[in-house]
Amino acid sequence: MGTSGRGFERVSRGSVTSTVVRKAPDEPEPPLPEDTRQHLSPLQISLRYLWHDRRALICGGILLFLVALALIGPPIYQHIGGISPSDLSGSIGPGLYHQYYHEELSRQDELPSAQYWLGTDSVGRDILARLMQGLLISLTVAVVVEIVDVGLGLLVGILAGYYGGWIDQLLARFTDLMFAFPSLLFVMLLVGVFGSSAATFFNKVPLFGDPGNARLLVVSVALAFTSWPMMARYVRGQTLQIKEQQFIEAAHACGTGDLGMIVRHVIPHLLSILLVAAALDISGTIIGEAGISLLGFGVTDPGSSLGLMIADALDLTATHPWEVLVPTVVLAAIVLSFSFLGDSLRDALDPKRNNC
Amino acid sequence: MLQFLVKRLVSGVFVLLGVSFITFIIGYFTPVDPIRQLMGQHYTYVGWLQLRHAYGLDLPWYQQYYNFLFHCVKLDFGTSIHYQNRSVGDILKDGVPISTELTSWGLLLTLLLGIPAGILSAVKANTWIDTTNMTVALLLYALPGFIIAVFAQVMIVWCNVQFGLNWPVANWGTPWHYALSDIQAKLVPVLIYGAAGYAYFARLARTSMLEVLDQDYVRSARAKGLSERAVIYKHALRNALVPLITSIGLSVGLLIVGALFIERMFNIQGIAHIAIDAVSQGDFPVIQATALLAAFGIVTGNLLSDILYTIVDPRIKLV
Repeated sequence: MGTSGRGFERVSRGSVTSTVVRKAPDEPEPPLPEDTRQHLSPLQISLRYLWHDRRALICGGILLFLVALALIGPPIYQHIGGISPSDLSGSIGPGLYHQYYHEELSRQDELPSAQYWLGTDSVGRDILARLMQGLLISLTVAVVVEIVDVGLGLLVGILAGYYGGWIDQLLARFTDLMFAFPSLLFVMLLVGVFGSSAATFFNKVPLFGDPGNARLLVVSVALAFTSWPMMARYVRGQTLQIKEQQFIEAAHACGTGDLGMIVRHVIPHLLSILLVAAALDISGTIIGEAGISLLGFGVTDPGSSLGLMIADALDLTATHPWEVLVPTVVLAAIVLSFSFLGDSLRDALDPKRNNC
Repeated sequence: MLQFLVKRLVSGVFVLLGVSFITFIIGYFTPVDPIRQLMGQHYTYVGWLQLRHAYGLDLPWYQQYYNFLFHCVKLDFGTSIHYQNRSVGDILKDGVPISTELTSWGLLLTLLLGIPAGILSAVKANTWIDTTNMTVALLLYALPGFIIAVFAQVMIVWCNVQFGLNWPVANWGTPWHYALSDIQAKLVPVLIYGAAGYAYFARLARTSMLEVLDQDYVRSARAKGLSERAVIYKHALRNALVPLITSIGLSVGLLIVGALFIERMFNIQGIAHIAIDAVSQGDFPVIQATALLAAFGIVTGNLLSDILYTIVDPRIKLV
């Protein structure tokens, strides 16, 4: 029989196969099968778990497709299609009529065709082109807000949770305040006051400086400002929990300083939690941007945003429901994908789950 | 109890002070000069100085803030900049009945449908009833109101065309009147406003009920031979309602601003719509007043939820 733990395992299983072994005592013992069990790191286990979660895969696929559409869609789309007569500029190619701001007043409210793949809106702009630009805006805002949100939340949350004291008190008061202040109203307040002069401030910033997008930066700042206290409070709670764990005590006993403790022991344990929180947060941010543009305070014409597309098409629901459905369905897909993906991530990264 | 109440009240007042200070200071640093905007082409320097003095805008900031607070306490939010002769309170007065009507019906619907749905889901856990119910709740919870509103409007249009109906798409009848046409107009916005709350309460009620059904006293009740009905409705339900009741307090606080998108999508002239208009017109006093009103609602809601909590669950000590 084999040696060490592996042999022990065989013996314990042996009761069934023992008769077979006894029949041929002279034969040399067959070589043990190769140990195929891999020793996976927790991350690998999580990834494998995620790989078998069909819902997460579908959601991730949808999101990847939409990101790809936003980033490489427009340049490709602007090279597809023939020359077409235009109202004002003679014959134009797809480089112009597939631009999100190009209006063709004789081609209003069209259904999908070979030239306009998703049809045109009420002033004859290509809906697919506007959709891709809107996706780009949503993504940019989501990324900017999330960076600020996670960065500030992590910093303040860890300081408050690890050191306690006045930072903790200040954070608690501040989150109380932000709880009572409806974030949407705060954003409206900021946009209402600074929105009109935003264009002159930000016309040098890429993407945000494009016509119609000037208020976007104000919106992003406001969204980030209203979301980070919640993140900080969450991080603080988790830090407090981690601080009580034994490995922290052990690290203390080894003489680890505060900085080393935070960087090498606390933050790595927070990362998976933060990833889940950020995934769930992103859908809120995207809804926020779309909502503010829908109310008319975010992106304005001739820029494009999913919310603005809904607002533009809202009066036409009765006559041209297609135009309002396209951005709404895409927005719903994004929001649901992020929510489901966040849920799946939480399951996958949870060290206490029992199956993998 | 009294000490607890006073403590909560004081902290609520501090939160309101903070909110008022933030709204004030944002307005103070606005790069747009409201007086100049107000005067338009009739701008003269002397007139500008006089008006500025009349509105009290030439005082130092702490003086202005003090005046602002002092007027707020007297429920006087000043005069609107856009509609020159109307006070802010007067403008808000138009929207209040409409908004409260929408939101109270929505809240009622939420509670009357959401909580029973959640309880049913918990009692029938892991059957098709539970799965369907929770899938619907998850979708309604994840999607924002305006997306659901778009789908609903497209559905209405489709039904109108298909069945020759004449259902209004975006309208609000006379506030607090219930003729057939009013009900027709109000039904869909109220349903959609209630949808998010429905999903929230259904999920919360299910979790809470499942937790309670797992407790020892429920097992004891079953063991002593009580009928399943008595176990669920007498023993489990009462305990499951405790966390729900506190959430009701919180949602009362959101009544005013909660309808922002519904009012926009269905063109309902409530407070939220007034706030939206005020932002696009740069009418700062109106924005300030709505922000304060909303914050006041939330602080009151929080207080209400704390009080309810102690009434429902006597084990909670008031410190």
